[in-house]
Formats: sequence, structure tokens, C-alpha cells
Amino acid sequence: MNDAANTERWIHRLNTVQLVLAGIIIMAPTVWMVLSSFKPSFEVTAYPPTLVFTPTLENYAELTRTTPFLSYALNSLIVTVGSTALGLLFGIPAAFAVSWTRITWPAILTLAARMAPGTLFLLPWYVMFRQIGMIGSYTALILSHAVITLPIVIWVLLPSFDVIPRSVFEAAQVDGCSFTRILWRIAMPLVASGVAVSAILAFVFSWNYFLFALVLSNGDTKTLIAAAFNFIGEGSTQWGALMAAATLIALPPLVLAALVQRWLVSGLTLGAVKG
Amino acid sequence: MASISIRNLTKRYGNFTVIPDLNLEIADHEFVVFVGPSGCGKSTLLRIIAGLEPISGGDLYIGDKRVNGVQAAHRDIAMVFQDYALYPHMRVYDNMSFALELRGTPKAEIDARVKRAAALLHIEPYLDRKPKELSGGQRQRVAMGRAIVRNPKAFLFDEPLSNLDAKLRGQVRAEIKALSQQLKTTMVFVTHDQIEAMTMADRIVVLQSGTIQQYDTPETVYERPANQFVAGFIGSPAMNFFAVEWHDDCAILSQGGTAVPVDGEIASSLRRAGNALLGIRPEHFTVATNAADGIAIEVKLVEPLGSDTLIHFDLAGVSAIARIDPSLRPKVGDRLALRPQSSKTHLFDATNGQVLR
Repeated sequence: MNDAANTERWIHRLNTVQLVLAGIIIMAPTVWMVLSSFKPSFEVTAYPPTLVFTPTLENYAELTRTTPFLSYALNSLIVTVGSTALGLLFGIPAAFAVSWTRITWPAILTLAARMAPGTLFLLPWYVMFRQIGMIGSYTALILSHAVITLPIVIWVLLPSFDVIPRSVFEAAQVDGCSFTRILWRIAMPLVASGVAVSAILAFVFSWNYFLFALVLSNGDTKTLIAAAFNFIGEGSTQWGALMAAATLIALPPLVLAALVQRWLVSGLTLGAVKG
Repeated sequence: MASISIRNLTKRYGNFTVIPDLNLEIADHEFVVFVGPSGCGKSTLLRIIAGLEPISGGDLYIGDKRVNGVQAAHRDIAMVFQDYALYPHMRVYDNMSFALELRGTPKAEIDARVKRAAALLHIEPYLDRKPKELSGGQRQRVAMGRAIVRNPKAFLFDEPLSNLDAKLRGQVRAEIKALSQQLKTTMVFVTHDQIEAMTMADRIVVLQSGTIQQYDTPETVYERPANQFVAGFIGSPAMNFFAVEWHDDCAILSQGGTAVPVDGEIASSLRRAGNALLGIRPEHFTVATNAADGIAIEVKLVEPLGSDTLIHFDLAGVSAIARIDPSLRPKVGDRLALRPQSSKTHLFDATNGQVLR
């Protein structure tokens, strides 16, 4: 009995150590980045890194003074919100249709598109958008980012639709609902938490995706993440400003990721069926 | 209110035929129960009537209208599902009013109809609750209420009592029966429980492998089963079957040669057939006081039910059951003389199971 209790205590300690180690490995770069953004520029690249310093906002001031940071942020917001909305607009009915018909190949196709390297699409898109004069437009960026958001919406929502008892939809059919009305009045309220999670995930992935924006945007439509890439200059990188930019870029996804947790548990379908 | 007419209906899933060729007429205001074992096609048939399954061949009429290609939404029928299928995000009131709202019924009328149905089903106190806040029996009532408010052409019930406990099942069964008499609407009820079928139906459809074995009143199905399948399915415990033959102007059990008393109609049928299956319901045995007046058996198992006692015994190589007077207090190992009530025995063809009359 004592041995068993001892073993359990040791396993618990080991688990804690593992979690702490994993936490440090994951969080260290982020903490370093955030701390560096508040350091005077000469301390950012100091070696060994300084842990005690006088915090300053000079990097943030430098960032806004030397770059159109707010314009880039607005571009990111337009592209991300647009592509997320597009993903939801087509992804919700698509996921419902896949769940309803049990025809899964369209969903697998979108997943394959998401898993394929972005460069696969980039060249044909570049040629296509250039031909129709859309390079540098928000539309081109939003459409290209829909490749990121659409599969996320479909695959996050599919299990949410799947767990709703089919008889609930059939009852709605018998009550007089069309397919669209079933989706809107019956299914949507039941998968609301799934929609929120998929919207947030789509937003985060689209916000963080830089490859398409790097090639398909221009000076007026460049997104934050693509612009940040340009901060790394040859021999004249402003590391302090770069850290400040990286911190600001990471902020919206981090806040949204924290919000996701609140939506993950939903008991809406409880009571729909027996028991 | 409407009749339902099914003509030469077939249903296939790929190469698998569930319903080969089915004809059925359900009269207006009639309460018809589809009964049969799992996989017999009864739920499929109900779902076809509802418009939830397409038809592979044949015709379906609700009233005078052919509804083969008509969507469920436009058939004006109401359905109560096995798992109730209430809308989890809506209050009971909204669950019941939803279909009326879709049809553009005025709010005042919706309110009146919902409250009338709620009163009928004793669910007024729960109108503001969500389904998850209700017990199984209450959810069942809400599901019925949702159907009733619509005043549809026909009600369809898909095994609605199977999730209730035994006591509640009996209560709701009686309530549905009473409702059917009040509402005077065509009702089709699917069950695998033959007691539900017997107690509720005006007529019973006994199904096996997608074909109708018998379509008649509960009394007729019980008293004059069309074949061995129906005889064995309707009645609990099930009918006993013994191989018999005609020998020296008398019916005898094929195994053991014991003489069995049969009435004139059975005797002449058996004389013609030579050999057949004799069906005797457990309740149609009596215990003879004189051993010479009955068939000698040894009691293998006793099941006292209070009102009756079931005894299990082996006869002519068959494990059989008799329902006897509990005051006899039989014990395992007792030797009794059982006498079948000759006027209530049944004879079936030994090869195809059809009744011999």
C-alpha cells in the first residue's frame, strides 16, 4: 500500500517536472521577446541577456515613428476578418452538408488543400491575380487566406454537427423546415460554441499566415506579419523595434486563444434525446 | 385527417431490398400499429410515410394526394420520435409552437393551441423549461404535444415508449390510446412490443422481412393467426408448436406418439395434410384432475406471476410453457396432466408455416 502511494507520488512529481520543463521551453522565446521589446536598444542583443533593466517604450515609439505600423495592422485586420468571414460563410453550410449527407470527400479535399505547402498555390495564384490586375488588392489576399480559414471552419464544425441527433433535424423537416431553415434555426444555435471556436482559430491562423501576403500584397495592403519580415534588414536590423512589432503582432492571437477556452464546453445538446 | 394508401411499394438500399412489394390501406381516423421483430422494415415504412426516406418503387397516397416526391415538410403529418427529438435550445413552449410559427399561424392562435395541448398532456408547468430540465416521461409528453398542436392529417409514432420504464410505459400507452379516441386522427404507431400493438391498435400490421404477414384487428390476429410467424410473435409467452400427425383416426405427437385432443376442423385439416405443426398457446392448457384426461408432463421450471403461474416443461422434444392457475402451486419435478383446449388450438403447414383451416 505504501509502495503504491510512493510510486504515485513520484509519478505526480515527474509529471509536474515535465510540465514545468515543457512550459519553460514553450514560453521562454515569448517571454524573451516581450522583455526585449521593453529594453533599451543596446541591451536587446547584449550577451549574456540582461534580466534586470529599466523598462522603456522607446522601441514602440521607434516602431510607430519609422513604419506605418497602424496601417499594416489595419491591413491585417481587414484580410483576417474578411477571410474569417468568408471561411464561416462557406464553411458552416459546407460542414453541415457533409455531416448531413455523410459525403466526406469535399471536407477531405479542403483538408488536403490546407495541408499542402502554400507555395503550391502561390505561383498559379500570382500569375492569375496579375492577369486580372488584382495583385496587391485586399480581395486577392482575402481569397487566398480563405484557403487557411475554410478547412479550419469545416473541420472544427464537423464533429459539432455530427453529435446532434439526426432525429432532431428530421423532426424539423417534419415540422416544415427547409434545409436552410434547419441550418439556421436548429443546427446553428446548437453549434454556436463550435462556430465561435472555429472563427477564433480561423482568425488566429489567418492573422499569423505570412506567405501569401508576402507575395500577393503591395505597399498599401501589406499585412503586419509580412511587414515585420521586412524589418530584418541586411546589417541594420532594429532588433528592439522588431521585438516590439512581434509582441504587438502576437497579442491578438494570444488574447483570442485565451478566449477559446471559455467556449470549448457546451452542454446544449444534453436533453435532446433519451435519458 | 386522411387515409393512407400504399400501393406496390418497394424500398431498396443499393442491392439490398428492405421492402419487396407492399400494399396497405389505412382508413381515415384509424389507429394502426406496425409490429414485427428488429429489421422487419416497420420503421423504414413509417419513415417512408413521413417523407424521411425516398421510395424505390410504387405509390404512396395521403388522402387523395400522391406524395411520392413530396418533401416531409409539405406532407402535413406529425411524428413522435423514439428519442423524442426535441429541440434542445428551445423552451417547451417554443418546441410546441415552432411548426405553427413556420406556417405563419397568428400568435394568439399559436398560444391558444399550445396551451390547449399542454393542458391535455398535463405539461403546463413545464412550458418555460428546456428539454434537459425534464424527465423522460415529460419529454415524451412534450414530443406528443408538439405533434398535437399542428392538427395534422396523420400522426406517426416511431417506438415512442421504448425509452420509458415499464410503469411509465403502461401509463403513456393508455394516454396515447385515450388521445387517439379524443383527437380522431389517423395514427400509425411502430413498435416491436406486441403488448403495445394489442392494446392500442384498431388494426395491427404484422411485418417480417418487409412483407405483411397479417393485417387485422388485434383479436383476429391473436385468435386466428395467418401463419406460424404471426402465431409465434403475437402472444406472450409465445405459442408452443408441436409436430403432429394423423394416425389411426387420431392426432398424435410425432415424437412419442401421445394422442392430442383436437376439434373437428383441425382434425379434418390434419387428416388431409398427414402431418403438420400444432400450435397451443400457454394459456390454452388446463390441468386435468384425472391423469388419463391429459398429457403427462414433468415441471422443469416455475414462474409465479401472481395472477397466473407459468410452468416450463419438455414435450415431444420441444421446450414448452403453460399458464396455469396459481392456486395449484406447482413445484419443479411435479408430474401434471395438461389438457389443451381443443377449440383453441391452431394447425400450421409443416413446410411453409401457413395456417391450415
